[in-house]
Amino acid sequence: MNIVCCIKQVPDTAQVKIDPDTNTLIRSGVESICNPYDLVAVEMAVRLAERYSGKVTVISMGPPQTESALRECLALGADKAILLSDRAFAGADTLATSYTLAQAISRIATDETVDLVVCGKQAIDGDTAQTGPGTATRLGYHQFTYVSEVIGVDLEKNTITVRREVENGSEIIEGTLPALLTVELEAASPGYASLPELVRSLIQEVPTWGADDIKGSPESLGLKGSPTWVKEIFAPPARTGGLLFDSAENKDQAIADFLDVFFEKEHEILDELWSVDKG
Amino acid sequence: MPKNSKGKEIAEIIPDKCIGCQLCVAECPVNVITMEGAVAKIDPEPCIGCGKCFDICPTAAVIFDKPRKKKVAGAVPRPSALDEYQGVAVFIEARDGHGAEVAWELVGKARELAEKLGTRVLGFLPGTGVESVAEEAISYGCDVVHMIDNLILGPYLPQTYGKALVQLCRQAKPEILLLGATPLGRDLASVVATQLETGLTADCTGLDIDIQERLLLMTRPTFGGNIMATIFCRNHRPQMSTVRPKVMKLPQKDSSRQGEIHRLEFEAPDGTLPRIIDFIPKAADVGGEDINQAPVLVVVGKGACDSQHLPMLEQLAQLMGGTIACSRPVVESGLLPYVRQVGQTGKTVAPKIYIGVGVSGAVQHLVGMQGTEKIIAINSDRHAPMVQIADYAIIGDYAEIVPEIIQGIEARVKRSKP
Repeated sequence: MNIVCCIKQVPDTAQVKIDPDTNTLIRSGVESICNPYDLVAVEMAVRLAERYSGKVTVISMGPPQTESALRECLALGADKAILLSDRAFAGADTLATSYTLAQAISRIATDETVDLVVCGKQAIDGDTAQTGPGTATRLGYHQFTYVSEVIGVDLEKNTITVRREVENGSEIIEGTLPALLTVELEAASPGYASLPELVRSLIQEVPTWGADDIKGSPESLGLKGSPTWVKEIFAPPARTGGLLFDSAENKDQAIADFLDVFFEKEHEILDELWSVDKG
Repeated sequence: MPKNSKGKEIAEIIPDKCIGCQLCVAECPVNVITMEGAVAKIDPEPCIGCGKCFDICPTAAVIFDKPRKKKVAGAVPRPSALDEYQGVAVFIEARDGHGAEVAWELVGKARELAEKLGTRVLGFLPGTGVESVAEEAISYGCDVVHMIDNLILGPYLPQTYGKALVQLCRQAKPEILLLGATPLGRDLASVVATQLETGLTADCTGLDIDIQERLLLMTRPTFGGNIMATIFCRNHRPQMSTVRPKVMKLPQKDSSRQGEIHRLEFEAPDGTLPRIIDFIPKAADVGGEDINQAPVLVVVGKGACDSQHLPMLEQLAQLMGGTIACSRPVVESGLLPYVRQVGQTGKTVAPKIYIGVGVSGAVQHLVGMQGTEKIIAINSDRHAPMVQIADYAIIGDYAEIVPEIIQGIEARVKRSKP
């Protein structure tokens, strides 16, 4: 079974902040990491490849330094990595990104069959969760989003059964291969790389594919293929604070003061809460 | 303005302002901009000083002040074919014979947008046995409901619902299409936007109209909620956006409102469809009560991520008539399950009272609770963002403060209800 994983290198968003006074980014020390959801996707793909004797190819679109994220995935046990990097890919929104990924997967599928594509649920920088379903739509694959478990793959019947998390519960659903999954955090827990895998991940060749390699039409790639534009960027609006009770000097007094004020000012909310409770 | 060795005035990028979006990389006609780490950098020697990077940069990270006429992105006239797209459409997600609440919240917002545009609110309603939902849609503010009531549109499948919504867009030609950012809505929105090859902006927290350009301005948190970005889609229709539940206000229902219902024919898509084998409803004791529904949330943050004190926080939640929720680090530590996570990658909540215990208030958390009525913060750090925005902030060690608050509440409740 051949599995393709789509991953993204992202800035560690927990570290990115905006200075509300100057409206500039405070980005000192912000590192680029492999999107955590994608590491889950790779881990899951590697496990499936073990279970169904297959192999895993990881692809990523991005500037040349994205190679380090791909190597991280090789260390997790992926067999092959391909970097999709070209000036023509730059400035892509999710529509153009899904085009590029779908073209690359189609190219892989001309050399060998692709049975399954696994993506993370979303990327932590944009949090859109759009690229996976978009890629599946372009490829015409069955798509399963928010997958928490692959229940089974039947390579003879060419089917896959997964559990996916929906609004009020989980759905067990069966589709045909090739299929594309986007996976939840609980789908797998990426472990540590073994020493041999780590060594391999550092020395293995990672080829780069550009626009010509994936037969990308210039009109659909990067900035040109992106219908959405960023108008402006700003710091999130501040909510102004209220009363402060410091327990450092006299803890009991501070808490008593807080409760007094709180019960007096918010008695309407509290009455409503507790009347519902009693009723 | 800096010059290169040939004496040419060139553009320069301020690394602190660059967000690494690579728009300038794509725009540069002589390919002299490269990514260095997460930041774009201009090679000064081959730069021709055209200023295109300056024009396109969304964060004003490019220094370029050579006098010239500033061209706005997309100053080319918009294709006139877009003018035939009219109306603000809302996808109505039907569940058990009713519309999902988020759909009505969006209908409320759509009314506001439609009034600015001088156009109508359209309800797009695919489903099975949804006649009564169409009536409901009108009472919440739709002028016209385009309905596909078909047996094949039972349980959601991207193939069937995708085809239905694409058909509705092609027939009714709305200029805007809004969808609730539920698991179903997000899945569906991507399918439809890809098939229609139009722009889609996820999880918007603000929607407005640029009336001169007749454009939808979509504001959303990005970079994990640390930054807000306003996005637009100039040359493609419909302009699509998803919005999370509880972000927009639920409008008043008015059963006397009048509207039209259009019933449309539908044919099943070609090819094999996935088959839903089973549905397992969420058990009440597994993820717990829905944190979306609780009127009070006691939210455990990194600063209170300790299994020893969790029962105490649960007791406070129970006493207040609410439940326990948490921030992302607490899920990552394994103390509480993901279903209890509030924030950008968790759930959006709008309780009456939010009690953050040891929650620092990273922006990606704050965007998931901005609809809260009253915020109480218990934190040892008075400079924590959560303390800054709280209506009531108690500074100190939560392990000492919470037991006293519990006692205090119990005493007061007893006094008022003997």
